[in-house]
Amino acid sequence: MAFFEQDIHDEPKTFLSKYIFSFDHKVIGKQFLWYGIFFLGVGGMMALLIRWTLAFPGQAFPVLGPILFPDTNGVVPPDTYAMLFTMHGTIMIFYAITPILIGAFGNYCIPLMIGARDMVFPTLNMLSFWIAVVSGIMLLASLVTPLGAAAGGWTSYPTLSTLLGSPGVGQTLWTLALFVLGVSSTMGAVNYIATIITLRAPGMGYFDMPLTIWGLWLTAILNAIFLPVLGAGLLLLTFDRMFGTTFFLAGAAATSGSGDPILFQHVFWIFGHPEVYILILPAWGIVSDLLSFFARKPAFGAKSTALSMTAITVLSTVVYGHHMYSSQMSPLLTQSFMMLTMTISIPSAVFFANWLGTIWKGALKFDTPMIFSLGVVFVFGLGGLTGLYLATVTTNIYLHGTYFVVGHFHYTMAASVLLGGFAATYFWFPKMFGRMMNEFWGKVHFWLTMLGLNGVFMGMMIVGHAGMHRRIYNPFVYEFLQRLIPLNQFITISALLMGAAQIIFVVNFIHALIKGPKASQNPWNVGTLEWTIPTPAPHYNFKEIPVVKCGPHEFGNPLLKDKDFQYQTEELVKA
Amino acid sequence: MKTTLGYNHSTSNSSVSEGQRVVSSIGTTIALVSFAMLFVTLMMGFAIFRFTAPVWPPQGASKPALLIPSLSTLIIFLSSVAFNYFEKQPKERRKYFNVTILMAVFFLISQFLFWFNLHANGIFTSSGVFASILYSFTWIHAAHIVLAFFLLLWLAHKLEKSGIAPNQHLIKNIGLFWHFLGIVWLIMFVTIFVL
Repeated sequence: MAFFEQDIHDEPKTFLSKYIFSFDHKVIGKQFLWYGIFFLGVGGMMALLIRWTLAFPGQAFPVLGPILFPDTNGVVPPDTYAMLFTMHGTIMIFYAITPILIGAFGNYCIPLMIGARDMVFPTLNMLSFWIAVVSGIMLLASLVTPLGAAAGGWTSYPTLSTLLGSPGVGQTLWTLALFVLGVSSTMGAVNYIATIITLRAPGMGYFDMPLTIWGLWLTAILNAIFLPVLGAGLLLLTFDRMFGTTFFLAGAAATSGSGDPILFQHVFWIFGHPEVYILILPAWGIVSDLLSFFARKPAFGAKSTALSMTAITVLSTVVYGHHMYSSQMSPLLTQSFMMLTMTISIPSAVFFANWLGTIWKGALKFDTPMIFSLGVVFVFGLGGLTGLYLATVTTNIYLHGTYFVVGHFHYTMAASVLLGGFAATYFWFPKMFGRMMNEFWGKVHFWLTMLGLNGVFMGMMIVGHAGMHRRIYNPFVYEFLQRLIPLNQFITISALLMGAAQIIFVVNFIHALIKGPKASQNPWNVGTLEWTIPTPAPHYNFKEIPVVKCGPHEFGNPLLKDKDFQYQTEELVKA
Repeated sequence: MKTTLGYNHSTSNSSVSEGQRVVSSIGTTIALVSFAMLFVTLMMGFAIFRFTAPVWPPQGASKPALLIPSLSTLIIFLSSVAFNYFEKQPKERRKYFNVTILMAVFFLISQFLFWFNLHANGIFTSSGVFASILYSFTWIHAAHIVLAFFLLLWLAHKLEKSGIAPNQHLIKNIGLFWHFLGIVWLIMFVTIFVL
């Protein structure tokens, strides 16, 4: 339902207008992809430094250690350790996952999959990327400030994050960088929502959209509503740090009057719980689509998948309290939050069953995007189920702040979203760059990553259940944790394996960019709109705005003669 | 599967601007929801401080005099009224628009007066939670007023260039933002200063 005629713009000619300050959603999507992959590398290196410290405390990090930490002969110092886990969390969540899943694939896929020539506000789109760049520079700059980067954890609870806990300018830069990134993401969200509402091709109702678009749309809605909540908290934190206000200071620290450190936790998690769904919803959408595409079957219960994702979006806004059970919440409140959190498992189970229904008796084709999607089904199942133990007050009191929590959210955030992102990269690479990535090395990449990440995150849950607390520089000063040293070494070796596997991905990616075999228009035989146009997509996307006549998952119709799928622009074949 | 033709508007010129009107009004609505959430969060923080304190204002602080905030309320109300006339009245639109911009400047001046006055009375940002709220919330609101002020100037530039007729949806949406900030100020005035 296009609301207005979309013009075909002239092709940009100069280098600047084509690659740097481009208004084209495809170029901006690729820019976000580079941005995200860069930060994924930075955050990954930080993870390895953290893991090394936990497995081999007091030993120098090989090769890089002596260069980074000459004062300690290559051993990660304790204060740097706190900065590392803080920056690892911040970078991975806000600067790697968000740009790749939402920035890159959101920008690239939305107009192509709904049959539009571009986003509805191209200028806003470009601004959104360049503001994100400014934010990234601010965050990286904080690493080289005199007292170092932020070190209060990615949640930056006061009083760790006020001047008492971290006097350096690094924490201020962290706060401002996140605020600026929030502005950028909100701009993107306004764009995504408006584009999906107004620029769907004629004939495309909401349930004719691919589930990828559903996921991105719901994500954008959550972004637009809840990022400003974090923005408010960050602003007040900045004022506390820079202008001496006392919102989050309590007791003797405040000269008079009394602030409330717990208030920041509330504000943070009112934003923070929707945020985890902001991160996972695009991955769910992508996986729901890919499972159907490669099982050569219609997505089982596509409508109920979309509706249960919507239900989760709504529910995600009222469960934030489960992050704060141990902050002296009243039992009435904790139990209410427990009930609400448990309710999320109902829609989750619905779409999980739909995933299984989609691959049930399908003609599965195990291409790289498919095995990554199946990987998501596995790791998300594990991550989701372990969430139940953390949602329950009684078990949460014991598990709170242990490595069990770290294992759980890495299974959902890191494992599911990362594998979903890789699936999307392998799947849309041909349309983005016009070449194919290597299948064999893609599969090697998958199996090594899968092996590594399960070793890491499963191990984390075991040591967490055994009582190992997160964010401790050397847990083995406690006697009861000393027998966990071998298990921690196993986790670190798994992490190194997982890190090494990403080198395969980077090499495969760059090789495919330069020398990969040319991709055909529709290498995966899929019927959604982006595969009806040439590869790589021309700058105007669609010569004629397509008219949509059937859903995105029409596979295996026995009435089809020469192929097993049909394009969304074709009339549904009926007897 | 769907009757597709119903969606296609006619391609006459009027439908082009109609489409732009719908798109920009959707964009504005989402943006306003975002801005509203920022202020809702601030007000939530205020409510928590207010209702958990045994006495309000806490720690022996006193409420600031109502004169300057009342003046600010009056000014921002007048500016909204003037903008409304500018939008709706066929005649003397330029005059009403100038009044809006003038009132925006006066509002910012009144805010500076308010801050100087607080400062002169020995109330600093570090003088406890009530002072923190007074300063921070008015800062954040004033920052948005500055943003809206630049939007008004941009609108003035556009009007200068192209006359008034083709920019109706732009006028409407910038007006919405301006009225929105007026409402936010009114809520802040009533809850923080009066009650």
